Amino acid sequence: MSASFLRMAFLVSLGLCALGLLWRVSAWLRVRIGPDARDIPFHQRLLAAVRGTLATLVSRRTPGVLKAFVLDVFLQRRLFGGSRLRWLGHLLIVNGFLLLLVMHALARLVTAKLYPDYASTHDPWLFLRNVFGAVVVVGIVMVVAGRLRRPPSPPRPQRPMDRVFTALVAVVLLSGFLLEATKVASPKAFYRMANEYIGSTDPEELLPLRLAWATDFGVAFPDLQGAPDPDKLAEGRELHHDACASCHSPPGSSAFVSYPISRVLAPIAEPLDGIDADTWLMYLHLAACFLGLILLPFTRFIHVLADPVSLLANGAASAGPLSPVGRANRRALAIDACVDCRLCDDRCSVAPIARSLGNPALLPSHKLLATHAVATNPRWLDRQAGHARRIAEGAVLCTTCGRCTDRCPVGIDLADLWVAGRADLARAGQPSPAQWVRERSALDWDEALAVQTAAQNPVGPLSSRRETYSACVQCQTCTNVCPVVAHGGEEPGGMDLTPQKVMNLLRLGMIDLAIGSGMVWDCATCYQCQEHCPEGIRVTDVMLELRELGYRRLGDTRERRQRE
Amino acid sequence: MKYALFLGCKIPASVPAYELSTRAVLGRLGVTLVDLPFNCCGYPVRSLDREAFVFAAARNLALAGAAGLDVLTPCKCCFGNLRHAQRFLDEDPALRQRVETALAAERLALPAGVTVEHLLPVLARKVGLAAIAAAVTAPRTGLRVVAHYGCHALRPSDVTRFDHPLAPTIFEDLVRVTGATPVEWPRRLDCCGEPVHDANPSLSDRLTQAKVDDARESGAEVLATACPYCQMRFTEFQAAGSAAPLPVLLYPQLLGQALGLAPRTLGLS
Repeated sequence: MSASFLRMAFLVSLGLCALGLLWRVSAWLRVRIGPDARDIPFHQRLLAAVRGTLATLVSRRTPGVLKAFVLDVFLQRRLFGGSRLRWLGHLLIVNGFLLLLVMHALARLVTAKLYPDYASTHDPWLFLRNVFGAVVVVGIVMVVAGRLRRPPSPPRPQRPMDRVFTALVAVVLLSGFLLEATKVASPKAFYRMANEYIGSTDPEELLPLRLAWATDFGVAFPDLQGAPDPDKLAEGRELHHDACASCHSPPGSSAFVSYPISRVLAPIAEPLDGIDADTWLMYLHLAACFLGLILLPFTRFIHVLADPVSLLANGAASAGPLSPVGRANRRALAIDACVDCRLCDDRCSVAPIARSLGNPALLPSHKLLATHAVATNPRWLDRQAGHARRIAEGAVLCTTCGRCTDRCPVGIDLADLWVAGRADLARAGQPSPAQWVRERSALDWDEALAVQTAAQNPVGPLSSRRETYSACVQCQTCTNVCPVVAHGGEEPGGMDLTPQKVMNLLRLGMIDLAIGSGMVWDCATCYQCQEHCPEGIRVTDVMLELRELGYRRLGDTRERRQRE
Repeated sequence: MKYALFLGCKIPASVPAYELSTRAVLGRLGVTLVDLPFNCCGYPVRSLDREAFVFAAARNLALAGAAGLDVLTPCKCCFGNLRHAQRFLDEDPALRQRVETALAAERLALPAGVTVEHLLPVLARKVGLAAIAAAVTAPRTGLRVVAHYGCHALRPSDVTRFDHPLAPTIFEDLVRVTGATPVEWPRRLDCCGEPVHDANPSLSDRLTQAKVDDARESGAEVLATACPYCQMRFTEFQAAGSAAPLPVLLYPQLLGQALGLAPRTLGLS
């Protein structure tokens, strides 16, 4: 492969990567999450971002930013608090990869400029390449182990591009070690170099050098078996010292990863040479690198850029509250900054409720994707047939306790995102149940239920038992002590029902008329009625049970209507 | 005296002063608090899914049981909800069975005798009014305070066992022990309006307005609460209005002042 083709391929990949990055980064200024972000024009957000960046560099915020850079970006302090194992693993991956990138991938641009006698096959470079590669592999193992040690929870759907990128990283690492191992054992590579530096490819003429390389460097010459002639070996070593040593260190100790692999490959070194394995592995290694570079902006590995920005913005914001425009930018950035590490899920206050309901939409990691989708694609919710209510459940049941925000290793203000997302969901037709129940009157709901459901009313443990309400003598005590009745009279049209009428509907078996009533959904759950009932009827507990029934039955009806 | 402190979701995120002042006051009075990895008490899902609410509450009880501790919560909604869950577990064996199975999957078990307590009864009955009075160094003499009881702790009394449901005195007793003067007000047992805030904001506003008006007309200088939801409701409602707000204090803030604790440790500026 010619150097010019390689340079071309590299530049094209770099260009495509830059375009991809531009597209993704511009989303941080384009994506609108939350009603307050809806009316902010692009130029204002761009201006706020530029201003924020400048203020980050020189202002009273600079100390906070510096602190964030050292502690949060470089040392990843927040991940340390989440999981020690994954923190160490991630640190190894990041730094191993960075060092490989600078020292090895960009060797011509960086290392060779700093150290003019740089040779990839000479120490310390050969040794360091193995160290950094091994560091990355160990890091990956630690991160995977850390993830496996989490309590089991429903996985978040992965984007296909993320899988492709992960596979590419594996290919880069594996092909890198294999390439080095193949070259170590390859007689063909030896002859190529001998031709170039000694001007000979004659096996007999090169015998002393071949013996030295077979003994000291592990080249697998098929014709050299058994103990070498000590004189010839000494001669070969001398020739090596003059012609090769300035570029080659013995791989046995330096290439501690690829040398053992080369011993495994040694018996098949000849057939491997026959198919030019080293050349193909190099193509594979480079192709995977270039393809990875092109795809990077479209995977969740965009977080290598988004996370430092998010953490630095946090550091800057610590000096004062964020403007509405700044908040809009931060929310959009958050989508790309999320690594899907799912530490938020482990801390989520309503995670046990998610388990009990069998609804992962309550979990922060799932909710982040839904929040983004609802905000950017008005049709998305409609396409989630049967799931829209479950997604809304995730938004409604969030207590905004902020534990996810505290735990997020990349400092995303998740609690702010949930508040914004809840409002977007309401706009998209999924407000809280107490709000959508109001779309119709109790009578309308009752009629809709009568038309659409033939099945027997499902009833809860209290409302299903006659004894719960049969003692009601319609004395109106519950109604008289009810603050909602007292203050609800000022509503247009007044309250539709009173607690005592709800109890009466139960007695008449007209439960469907009660479950969509304003009385049931406006109940303040103050328990005045239950406390005062002379017959000891659990009026408030029944109200809450009717809400549960209403949520299920009216929710089904509403969903069916929305689909039609 | 040792309790597992159940803060719930609202206090750490929205009313951090309540946590600060509760810890400061109980620390001064010799009550030890232990933090456990609790989850939501289940209150938000109570209207939508009874089983999920009971499971969430039961998981907290199981955590406290495993630590061998009773639960102390400063939140009246968490308090009422955890107590309700205990009732549902007691009266519905099938539900109890399902909850126990779900807990067993996490190697947790329903404890036999975990008591859920609210901050006020612990202060009035466990620490004791006399002990508090002895610790008061800076009595709030002359300060006229209305005590807001909060529905979910007071009622239903057969579940919460907080105080007499129609003529409670516990909150006024606790106000009196700080040296302040508890003021009689007709609406002291009424709802603050918070639970209907999402469903019906205008109804919620009328409920809160009636309370605040009543407190003012009764000549109060301070409205005392002992629940994050009530505290948020009174504070936010008054902040949105035009009139100068009636100061709202969390009870441990009032008590902390009387105990001579620094304002900073009580979340007061």
